[in-house]
Amino acid sequence: MELLIHIVLFLIASVAIVGMGSCYSDAEDAPALRNFPRRYLMFVGGCGLLALIMIVLEHTIASVD
Amino acid sequence: MPTRGAGREPYHLRALEPQPTPQPPQPSPAPQAGSPSGGAKIAPPSPVPSRAAVASGKGDPTVAALLSWLFPGAGHLYLGQLGTGLVCLVVVQGLYLLGMLLGEGMSFEYLDPELRSLLAPALSPEVGNLGAFLYQMQHYGYGPGLLRPFPEWLRLGSTLAALSGVLNIAVIAHAHWCARTSVRPAAWTQSAPLAVLATWALPGLGHWIQGRRRRGIAVFLMLVGLFVLGTILAEATNLSRERHFYYWSGQFLVGLPALLAELVWGGARVRGEIAYVEAGLVFGCIAGLLNSLAMIDVYGYAESKLLGLPLRASHAPAEAAP
Repeated sequence: MELLIHIVLFLIASVAIVGMGSCYSDAEDAPALRNFPRRYLMFVGGCGLLALIMIVLEHTIASVD
Repeated sequence: MPTRGAGREPYHLRALEPQPTPQPPQPSPAPQAGSPSGGAKIAPPSPVPSRAAVASGKGDPTVAALLSWLFPGAGHLYLGQLGTGLVCLVVVQGLYLLGMLLGEGMSFEYLDPELRSLLAPALSPEVGNLGAFLYQMQHYGYGPGLLRPFPEWLRLGSTLAALSGVLNIAVIAHAHWCARTSVRPAAWTQSAPLAVLATWALPGLGHWIQGRRRRGIAVFLMLVGLFVLGTILAEATNLSRERHFYYWSGQFLVGLPALLAELVWGGARVRGEIAYVEAGLVFGCIAGLLNSLAMIDVYGYAESKLLGLPLRASHAPAEAAP
């Protein structure tokens, strides 16, 4: 449950981060809106991959045990 | 305003590039058979305004901006704009001095002792007014090193000094604009520095003023929504500079919503463990930092419209030109 809440919070924050990134990248609304889903998936996917790498490292070479 | 993509230069560089002076059309001789230039098409004139059309010729924009950063109004004085310079000086510097007087120069003593270093306060909004910031560091710094009670008006004083730093960003942008170009907006709604200030005051307001209302509403909902959610998660404990010096600096960029929330719910007591306080702090801070992107967006848009430059566009594969 705790993990789920954190994932939901992350997805909410990602909307604002990617949304503002879209605003910054495209001055016109139409291309900004069109590119939003792709950017959102890229961002969430990228962060997911980073989290996965960190977990793997935490349990292997960076483990404190 | 930088643009993405190889081979494309930032707007301001393109705008100030020396352009060939347009020549009146000359009657060209009829192309002769066998001539290498025969039938060659003449390139259309560049849509970019010439340097002569945009440069103010009053002074160097970088010098004007740096002078304004160091001493509010000095950039305008350097450009010969005495009235504007004096108004900026009185308002911006006055706010900082008033803040310093009310808080007895103790606002950086909010920092925990283990976080205090020479550059630590540089991550605060006050650094927007560099001269006053350096003065405060020089004369007050972190105090005598003893624990002492904070003055009654320190919260207000610290906010006023931070406000002075943000206001000076608009002053710097205005001085830079005045030095860079002689183009002046026909209406206040077209002013780039004013759009920046409006966006700081209320995320989305700058877009709304520029007529980009859908975008303004979207920015407002995203950023103010994120800030409100953060405040709820942190149970309003994020609204305290004393408690969270750096996070407060970030969320100060949300503008009036953050200031009003602090006025109403600031200084909330911690009555127990707050489950998602870290998430709340990060959300509030991110909302402010993202608002700086909105400020850059409105500045770039106003600049493009006034100078007749192409609007910023990404180069996503879906919309790549054939």
